[in-house]
Amino acid sequence: MRLLLAEDDPELTRQVVACLEKAGHEVACYDRGDAALAAAVQKAFDEVILDVNMPGMNGFQVVEEMRAKEEIVPVIFLTARDGVVDRVRGLTAGGDDYLTKPFAMEELLARIDVQLRRAQQSGTGQRRIGEWFLDTRQRRLRKSNGEGVDLQPRECALLELLLDHPGRTLTKKFLLDKVWNIRFDPGTNVVDAMVCRLRRKLDVPGHTSSIQTVRGKGYVFKASS
Amino acid sequence: MFSKLLPERLPSTWRLALLQCITIATSIALCLTLAGMALRSDLETISRRILLDDLGEYSSVYEMAGLDGIARMFVSGRHENTEGVRVTSADGTIVLRESLSDPEKGFPWPALTSLRKLPEMKGVKAIEHPGKQPHVLIGRVFLPDGKLLWYGRTNESDRGYIQHINLYLWYAGVAAALIALVPIFWYAGEVLQPVRSMIASALALARGSGRERLAASSAVPELREFAAAFNTVLDRNEELTSELQAANDQLAHELRTPLARIRGNLEAFHDSVSEPAARDAAARGLDEIDRASSLVQTILTVRAGEHQALALHREPLSIRELLTDIVDLYTISAEDSGVVMKLDVTEDRTMMIDQQRLTQAIANLLDNALTYTPQAGSITVRCELDETQCIIHVEDTGPGVKPGEEENIWMRFVRGSAASAKSPGMGLGLSLVRAVATAHGGATGVNHRPGGGADFWISLPSEA
Repeated sequence: MRLLLAEDDPELTRQVVACLEKAGHEVACYDRGDAALAAAVQKAFDEVILDVNMPGMNGFQVVEEMRAKEEIVPVIFLTARDGVVDRVRGLTAGGDDYLTKPFAMEELLARIDVQLRRAQQSGTGQRRIGEWFLDTRQRRLRKSNGEGVDLQPRECALLELLLDHPGRTLTKKFLLDKVWNIRFDPGTNVVDAMVCRLRRKLDVPGHTSSIQTVRGKGYVFKASS
Repeated sequence: MFSKLLPERLPSTWRLALLQCITIATSIALCLTLAGMALRSDLETISRRILLDDLGEYSSVYEMAGLDGIARMFVSGRHENTEGVRVTSADGTIVLRESLSDPEKGFPWPALTSLRKLPEMKGVKAIEHPGKQPHVLIGRVFLPDGKLLWYGRTNESDRGYIQHINLYLWYAGVAAALIALVPIFWYAGEVLQPVRSMIASALALARGSGRERLAASSAVPELREFAAAFNTVLDRNEELTSELQAANDQLAHELRTPLARIRGNLEAFHDSVSEPAARDAAARGLDEIDRASSLVQTILTVRAGEHQALALHREPLSIRELLTDIVDLYTISAEDSGVVMKLDVTEDRTMMIDQQRLTQAIANLLDNALTYTPQAGSITVRCELDETQCIIHVEDTGPGVKPGEEENIWMRFVRGSAASAKSPGMGLGLSLVRAVATAHGGATGVNHRPGGGADFWISLPSEA
């Protein structure tokens, strides 16, 4: 995928580029808002990642200009501002997602995936996890032999999210945001507990779990062969 | 002083009018008293002159017609007051007595000896009668043959006259005071109207976003000056607030960007090493960085809240859904520590609130409650709704708050004495709760739960 990264901090740029390239993306970097805008309008990118505080033009203005020029590429903000008001400002300016510094690289990757997938409009009613089929409409796990387990709304949302990002480590912060709509650290183990419940429902005793813990980072869904 | 004399609860218009009324009534009373005194002394002077005239007349009648003449003239005369005439010989024997109509009862003539002592032609003496208000004026002249002619008269009719006049003057006075009330009432109302609209404006200010200003367009010049001075203070406050917000943004940026760099490097390190101990250390480092950045955020939020600079993103939300979600978030933690979590919300209301901030505030209360509630205890989240506000309670069965600590636990970096070294936290949780509640126009507090434990509450005004 071709990505545009606009960030004025050289060290952070280096890290993000390294991470994105490792994940197989092609990245064009800019350290000024106006330059990023010009590039975003002229060249075709699959996704744009914008810092908010930049010389030349701030990230909000860049998006407003892009949208005014009918550039519909997905935009993720990368910012040091963490007010809800700033977040709303970013989203109303035309951004699609908002990530606060400091962030986990994996989280940035997951959010990029979300936007790309949304652009591609996938999503089927039924997904396969090992011998289970997940019916997202009825919130139910089913086996071909008719055996079934009901899922609670949040369990289902969590499982869906993990399935959407196979092989990608999802941070607790990302899961809390997407499943619980919580963007602060609540100091509870609600994510771990929910993953635990999902594993109890999904896993076959004696086999490796399909939802694996990555210590210090989060959880990853590994499709079993 | 007057404000103490007059009932405090009375509106100023009434108080002013009442005060003015009292002033007018007092001055009228003073005028009437003085007028009465002047009138009385005038009438007395006139009475004395008449008495002297009468004495002259009687003495010339005596020269022409003797004692009989005096008696005849007295009897035929028309007397408005009770009067009397008397002639004494040089040795004091009474030769003629035409008495005051009821002399002995009402106004006895004074003893002759004292009468004799009346100074020559100074003329007239007033004799007070004990027990009766009117008095007798008595005058005397020497008749040509050496006898003394006495003439006396009471001042009854004068007094009646004065009383009559006084009565009408008092009527006029009271009527004047009452009539004076009307323009005073009107004027005071006129003057106070701008004050009232200023009060309304100030109240709107208290509820507003901080951009509103005190309006006093039609007020008296002094009030306009006051409003201008007050608005200068507000301008300065707003300036400081926006400076603070800018400084907070700056500080956030300055702290978060380096944290982001460190995090990125540490993450790269974590991913590249395979040795478990190194991976573990890196994982812990990542955790600490996340904690540090959330701490920075909390401090900034609390600081902004303390200076009324906390920007809210309000949206219409159901209180019941909000509380259900929060309780849901903590139910598993509670089960793990053997604590029962209850939600008690009977009614629902949609309110304009900042979902993230309020969730965080209530989550802090729940987190606290979980930290301090022992195994087999319970935590209840309750919501009270009335017309004016919504009060969210978080009640626990923990040790409760020590008496005397109810207020200072809300301060930054203050931890209650129940906090131990084991329990996490920097004493910012409750400060954040208060900052968020205040930004919503509400308040926070803690009660002692009957039967032990703490009852922390957040109140939010209904229009919020």
